Amino acid sequence: MHTTTLAMNTSLLMIFALLIFPLLTSLSPTPLHKTWAVTHVKTAVKMAFLVSLLPLFIFLNEGAETIISTWHWMNTLVFDINLSFKFDHYSIIFTPIALYVTWSILEFAFWYMHADPNINRFFKYLLLFLIAMITLVTANNMFQLFIGWEGVGIMSFLLIGWWYGRADANTAALQAVIYNRVGDIGLILSMAWFMMNTNSWEIHQMFINSQNLDLTLPLMGLILAATGKSAQFGLHPWLPSAMEGPTPVSALLHSSTMVVAGIFLLIRLHPLMENNQMALTTCLCLGALTTLFTATCALTQNDIKKIVAFSTSSQLGLMMVTIGLNQPQLAFLHICTHAFFKAMLFLCSGSIIHSLNNEQDIRKMGGMHNLAPLTSSCLTIGSLALTGTPFLAGFFSKDAIIEAMNTSHLNAWALVLTLLATSFTAVYSLRVVFFVSMGFPRFNTSSPINENNPLIINPLKRLAWGSIIAGLLITLNLLPSKTPIMTMPPLLKLSALLVSILGLLLALELASLTSKTFKALPNLPLHSFSNMLGFYPSIIHRLTPKLNLILGQKIATQMVDQTWFEKIGPKGVSSINLPMIITTNDVQKGMIKTYLTLFFLTLIMALFISII
Amino acid sequence: MTPVHFSFTAAFTLGLMGLAFHRTHLLSALICLEGMMLSLFIALSLWTLQLEATAFSTAPMLLLAFSACEASAGLALLVATARTHGTDRLQNLNLLQC
Repeated sequence: MHTTTLAMNTSLLMIFALLIFPLLTSLSPTPLHKTWAVTHVKTAVKMAFLVSLLPLFIFLNEGAETIISTWHWMNTLVFDINLSFKFDHYSIIFTPIALYVTWSILEFAFWYMHADPNINRFFKYLLLFLIAMITLVTANNMFQLFIGWEGVGIMSFLLIGWWYGRADANTAALQAVIYNRVGDIGLILSMAWFMMNTNSWEIHQMFINSQNLDLTLPLMGLILAATGKSAQFGLHPWLPSAMEGPTPVSALLHSSTMVVAGIFLLIRLHPLMENNQMALTTCLCLGALTTLFTATCALTQNDIKKIVAFSTSSQLGLMMVTIGLNQPQLAFLHICTHAFFKAMLFLCSGSIIHSLNNEQDIRKMGGMHNLAPLTSSCLTIGSLALTGTPFLAGFFSKDAIIEAMNTSHLNAWALVLTLLATSFTAVYSLRVVFFVSMGFPRFNTSSPINENNPLIINPLKRLAWGSIIAGLLITLNLLPSKTPIMTMPPLLKLSALLVSILGLLLALELASLTSKTFKALPNLPLHSFSNMLGFYPSIIHRLTPKLNLILGQKIATQMVDQTWFEKIGPKGVSSINLPMIITTNDVQKGMIKTYLTLFFLTLIMALFISII
Repeated sequence: MTPVHFSFTAAFTLGLMGLAFHRTHLLSALICLEGMMLSLFIALSLWTLQLEATAFSTAPMLLLAFSACEASAGLALLVATARTHGTDRLQNLNLLQC
């Protein structure tokens, strides 16, 4: 067999084998030893990362992509489902990144969850999640993708509700499941449509068979699925609520890997969307709305993890906008670079939270730059990468997206919203850095702030290196499939940078106002709107269940029970008959002997009359 | 009417009078009911014999079977009454009277 093929296929299947092996060891009846999490899980992920570099380098060298179809799983007469892995440029680049980020997060999680008695179970859940995510990313058919999709959804539920004694955590986990399920309706609709109209769930066959069909319905289904999984506007409240889970969970699931699954689905199935203007416009407008709305909500939040969660949601909106621009590769580039700096932001927040004795309110932090210099430096690097500072990781993806937006024929409203959201990104990033790192400490001095543990330092350093050079590396090595427009007026070229600097200056001005009071009782309607997340959760989480419960009450209790059973059916019959029975009963006095005597006498009289 | 007809008619009427005018015991009403059944049995048998209608020859047996059921039902009621009220005297059976 050819060396390249052998090397690629072997290493790619080795990744799965390495990741599944710790799960199998955990199935044995003997309890796991205390450092199983480190010796087995983290080592497995590290090994898998190193193994996944081999296909990456082969791809970079030769451009080799591979599809492995191993097993004919099940079939009907006209439809069959296989176990099929697709390692094209998307999966080959994403898998090492996901494994690298996961490796760092697992190392951090061993420090963060050290006092947890169920740490082995935690790591098992994270590993299961990772396997589901890799399955999703490498799926060549919709069935396998759906398995990965549901797998990440369920693991998200289990991990968000890790501290299930807390009512808020249970509510948040339930929210995640319900919102994801609404999105799954769209995915199942699309899968059913494809099964019926293109006779296959294999992605290549779907592309070929659907060339002349009107794809609006399945594409709307796929967009609904992405809305649910990637927290676009309308199905977004679960993502900030998901911050109830431990910080490693937020870093892994809700920043780098799970939430990009919806966008990844759209990227994979992009050839279906290229020619459908309605789907593209929907993506564009939905993404623009999402990115601005969530950036607005992030401006006034006080919980550091919620700010980063909204920032994730905003970047996901940006990715959706990119897909709406017909640029899936840029969206994928943004997914890859975003994974690094977002995971790092979460790890920095986790480090700060733990150092300050579980304080998550940024109004009670401050001065961390002197107390935890490495952490706050990484926070700054992450924030700069997020805002698209030139030549850090985020710049290559974000600037390219904004340039593509400026030079495309698109909806002007979407463009304005996206630029506004870009400036808001700078604002809330500066707000985080200002409240956390700068100024003087606003917390009690009793918590020992010590970041000298290599379990924290090494992940942060690795992710910081990634946030700095990953954008450059990926851009240098990926050939763009669509030609970017190279010439544009200088204002357009610099627009992303200008709005970010504008936002930064505005935020600095606002930050300097924190030490002065202009009004004793300020009028804050806009602040309330932003702080209460646009009142969206307050309205929807109360109105929808109330309407459903009223509907249930009307149908189940009132219509079926009361009306059908009691008024019309059996009880109605008895309630109509009962007064008549009582009346009849009152008439009779039970004097049987008198009645029988009367009967006899009447009989005699009748006989006599008939004789006479 | 012929003496035979008169005998079972009289037996039936006397049983009916006994049922209508029973005074003290529930058991006497049941016995009168049995008497009425017996007279009806004789009447059915005579019908077959005198009118030469062989199609009705099984009717008396049927009547006997059903009267046995009825008598056992009546006796069960008597026993239940005796259990709840202690006696079958009709003065005690006035719960439903208002």
